[in-house]
Amino acid sequence: MVLTVSEFLGRFHPVLVHLPIGILLMAAVFYVLSLREQYKALHQATTVALLLGMLSAIGSSISGYLLSISGDYEADMVSTHKWMGFAVAAVAVVSYFLHTKKNNAVKWTIGLMTLLIFITGHTGGSLTHGSDYLTKSITTPAAKTERKPIANVQEAVVYKDVVQPILEEKCYSCHNAAKQKGKLRLDGPEWISKGGKQGEVVISRNADESELIKRLLLPKQHEDHMPPKEKPQLNEKEIALLHWWINSGLSFDKKVKDLAQPEKIKPLLLSLQSAVSNEIKTKPQIPDAAVEQADAAAIKKLTDRGVVVLPVAQNSNYLLVNFVTVQGLSEGDIKLLLSVKKQLVWVKFANQPVNDAMLAILAECKAITRLDISYTKITDKGFVHLQQLPKLQTLNLVGTAVTTNGLMQLKNNQNLQAVYIYQSAVPKKDYAALKTALPKTTIDTGGYTVPMLQSDTTVFTKPKA
Amino acid sequence: MTQKELNNERLATEAKQKELQFFTRRHFLKESAMGFGALALGSLLGSCGNNMGMASSPVFDAAHPLAPRMPFFPAKARSVIYLHMAGAPSQLELFDYKPELAKLNGQDCPPSLLEGKKFAFIRGVPKMLGPQANFKQHGKSGLWVSDYLPHFSTIVDDVSIIKSVTTDQFNHAPAQLLMHTGSARLGRPSIGSWVTYGLGTENQNLPGFVVLTSGGNNPDAGKSVWGSGFLPSVYQGVQCRSEGDPVLFINDPQGMDRDLRKASIDAINKVNQEQYKEFNDPEILSRISQYEMAYKMQISVPEVMNINDEPEYIREMYGAQPGKGSFANNVLLARKLVEKGVRFVQLFDWGWDTHGTSADGAVDIGLINKCRQVDKAMTALILDLKQRGLLDETLVIWGGEFGRTPMQENRDGKEMPFKGRDHHAEAFSMWMAGGGIKGGTTYGETDEIGYSITSGKTEAFDIQATILNQLGFDHEKFTYDFQGRPFRLTDVSGKVITDILA
Repeated sequence: MVLTVSEFLGRFHPVLVHLPIGILLMAAVFYVLSLREQYKALHQATTVALLLGMLSAIGSSISGYLLSISGDYEADMVSTHKWMGFAVAAVAVVSYFLHTKKNNAVKWTIGLMTLLIFITGHTGGSLTHGSDYLTKSITTPAAKTERKPIANVQEAVVYKDVVQPILEEKCYSCHNAAKQKGKLRLDGPEWISKGGKQGEVVISRNADESELIKRLLLPKQHEDHMPPKEKPQLNEKEIALLHWWINSGLSFDKKVKDLAQPEKIKPLLLSLQSAVSNEIKTKPQIPDAAVEQADAAAIKKLTDRGVVVLPVAQNSNYLLVNFVTVQGLSEGDIKLLLSVKKQLVWVKFANQPVNDAMLAILAECKAITRLDISYTKITDKGFVHLQQLPKLQTLNLVGTAVTTNGLMQLKNNQNLQAVYIYQSAVPKKDYAALKTALPKTTIDTGGYTVPMLQSDTTVFTKPKA
Repeated sequence: MTQKELNNERLATEAKQKELQFFTRRHFLKESAMGFGALALGSLLGSCGNNMGMASSPVFDAAHPLAPRMPFFPAKARSVIYLHMAGAPSQLELFDYKPELAKLNGQDCPPSLLEGKKFAFIRGVPKMLGPQANFKQHGKSGLWVSDYLPHFSTIVDDVSIIKSVTTDQFNHAPAQLLMHTGSARLGRPSIGSWVTYGLGTENQNLPGFVVLTSGGNNPDAGKSVWGSGFLPSVYQGVQCRSEGDPVLFINDPQGMDRDLRKASIDAINKVNQEQYKEFNDPEILSRISQYEMAYKMQISVPEVMNINDEPEYIREMYGAQPGKGSFANNVLLARKLVEKGVRFVQLFDWGWDTHGTSADGAVDIGLINKCRQVDKAMTALILDLKQRGLLDETLVIWGGEFGRTPMQENRDGKEMPFKGRDHHAEAFSMWMAGGGIKGGTTYGETDEIGYSITSGKTEAFDIQATILNQLGFDHEKFTYDFQGRPFRLTDVSGKVITDILA
C-alpha cells in the first residue's frame, strides 16, 4: 500500500488538534479576564492567542479533512465532527478580526467558539475511542459484555458462540460501525462476507488464502500483521478456531456438532466449555441450590470444641467439618452440628468414638453428601439413620463393625456413588450380592495386595542377560 | 543483700532501661525516618493495585497462621503427596515407549538434533541408545509401561501419565527449583508453602507441610525446594526423619518433665503476650502459636511418624521396614500423615541420575535397582489410599526435574563404561493420580525417538496450575504481595491440564 502525501498529512490530525483546543480556550480565558481593570494588559495577549489559535484551527481542519477521506471512520460521525471543526476555524477567524477591530460582538463569537470546541472535541474523542468511551465505566462496570459459559460446546452455534466472541474481543475495536479501518467491519455476518477496501477477507473453505487468516499469521513486526502489534493479539487457539470455521464453510447459523471436527480442533472446542474460568470441569459434591450463610455463633461453638468448620469455598456457604483433633467426643458435640444442618455437606469423623445414637442426631443434616465414619463405633443399627440422608454420595465405612445386613439398607439412598468397606465385618462371600443390591454404587472392598515378586529382591550389578 | 536479690535488682534495672530506650529521641528519629519512608512507599506502591477478582488471596493471620482456610472454589483434593525422583528418571526406560529408537541403537546421532543444543555432558557426536527396558500395554486403558515397574503396571487405570513435560533447565538444582517454586533462581516459595499458606491445615497438632527424603542425599537444590521464600517462614516444609527421632530434639531433655515443659512454655507465652500488648507486632502472636504447636507436636509427631503400629500386612504391602530411611517407609508415612489431615507431604528420593559413569548410574543396571526401591511402595500407596477412601481427595504426583536423552552419554566425547543418558530438558514424563485426576489416561506425545514434544507441551507451571486447581485455587488469582507487586506460583504462565481431569 502506497501512502499518499495527503494521507500522510492527514495522520498529523490527532497531534495538531490539541493546539487549537488549548490555544483558543486560553484566548477565551484571556479575553474574559482582560475585561477586568486589573488584567487589562491581557488584551494584547488575547489577540496573539486568537491569531495562533485561528491558524492552528485551520491547519487542523485541513489535516482532519485529509484524514476523513481515508474513510476508516463511520460516515455520520465523521461528518458531524468535520463540520464542527470547520465551524471552529471559521468562528476563530471571525473572532480574531472582530477582536483586532475592538468590536464588542467578539464576546458572542468567543462564547460560540468555546462551545463549538467542546462539541468538536467530544465527537473527535468518540471517533477514536468509541462513542461510549466517556461514560463506559460509569454505566457498565464490566467493560466486556458478560457471556454465558458454554454448557455443551457441541450444541453451541459456531458463529455466535465460538467465532463472534473472538472477533468481539480482538477485532471489533477497529472494525465496527464507528471505526472501519481499511473499510472493513467484522461486527456482523453481512459485513464479514462483504470484506474491506481490498476486497473479500474470507474465502469459504479456503482459510489459507483468506486475507483475514493470512494477516493474523504474518510476523508480528510485519506492517500488515493484524491486530497491530501494540493491540491484544489472538492466541494460537483462537486462530486455529477461526481457521477451522472458515474451512468448514463459513457458516453463520450451524451448530458445532454439524461441522466436521478434525482431531486438533476437538480439544480446543472442549476447552471452550470451561473457558470462562480456570475452574475444574467435574462438579464437586455440593448442591446446586444456594444456601444462606451459616450462623457465626454456631460455627464459633464448634471451633471452640476443636472442630474444623469452614465453607467449602469462598463462593459457597456450604460447610465442611472435620473432627480430626477433637478430644472426648460427646453427643453434645454432634448436636452442635444441628444449627448448621442446612449448610453441612462434607463430614469427617474418622477415628472418633461415633456411635449409632450419634448418627440418629446426624440424620437431621439432610444436605450431607460426603460422610467419613471410618474407624468409628457404628454398627448395623446405624443404617436406619444413614438411610435418612437422601443426598449422600460418598460413604466411608472402613474399619467399622458393619455387616452385609446393614449395607443392604442403603438401597434407598438413590444418590450414593461410592461406599468404602475395607476392614469392615462384611464377609468376602457377600461382595457379589452387595454389588447386585446396589447396582449404581461403586463398592470398594479394599484388601488390595502388592505381591512380592522375585525381581523385588534381585539387586543387579550387571545388565540382565 | 543476697546474691539472688542483687540479681533480681539488676534484671529489673535492665528491663527498665530497655523500656526507656523506646522513649529516647534517637529511637524516635530512627523509627520515624524508616516509618515515614515505608508509609510513603506503601501508598505509592499501593496504587499499583491488587487483583480485582471475586476470589481474593488469603490474608496472613499471624495468630493462627496454619488455621484451615477455604479455597476459591470447591476443591477435588484436600491433600497432596508429591513424590520427586531427584536426579531425573529416564522416561525412555519407564513410560515413553519408542520402538523407532531401538532401530537406531548404536547409530550416530544426526546433526539436526545437536545443532544449537546444549547438553550437560554430551560432547561431539553421540550414539543413539535404544530403550533398555521391554514395554507392554497394561490395564483396561492399555497404557504402555516398561518391565522396570512390574507393580506400577497393575495400577495404570488409576493414573494419568503426562508424556510431554518440558523444562528450560538442564542442571539438577535449577530444574528442581523450577519444578517446585516456579523459578529456577532461589527465593521463591515452594508449592507446599503456597498450598499451606492458602489452605492452612486441618490438623493443628501436626505441621501442615512435611518433607521426607530418602536415597541417602537431599536433592541437589537443597532445602530451598521446600523453602517458604518470601512467604512467612511458618509455611516452609518441616523435614522429618524416618530413622531415629522424626524431628531432632523433639523429646524433652533429661530432668525436664512434661508439666515443667508446659509451665515454661506458658511463662514464655505470658511474657510474649505482654510484649504484644506493648508493640502490637503480629509476629509475636505467630511466635506464641508456634510454641504451643511445638508443645503439642512433641506428642503427636512421634505418634504419627511411627510405622511400627501399622499391621504387618500393610508394611509388607509397601515393602516398609521400620528403622530404615527408605522410600517405602516414607511413602507409608505419607499415607499416615494425609490420613491425619496433613495438607502437603513432599518426598524426595535421590539417586536417579543415570549418566552411565558407574554400574549404579547405568540405565540397564542401577536404574532397575532404583525402580525396584520405589515401584512396590508407590503402587501400594495408590492402592492403600484407594481402599481407605482417601484417593479421591488426595492428589499424588510423581516425577523428576527433567528427562534423559535418547542418545547415550559420551562424557568429554569418550565412550562410557556403562550405558547412560545425559540430562534432557526438552521432554520427559510424569504421572498424577487421585484428587480428581482421570485414571487410565495419557496426555501429550513426543516424536518417534522421544527427543521433542509433538503435542500437549506441559511446563512446570502447567503442573503447578493443575495442582492448585485441584485444591480449589485459580493459579492466576492466588497471589502474595511482595516488594510492591503480587506474586504467583506460576509467575506469568501456566494453564490447567484440563484433559487429565475427571
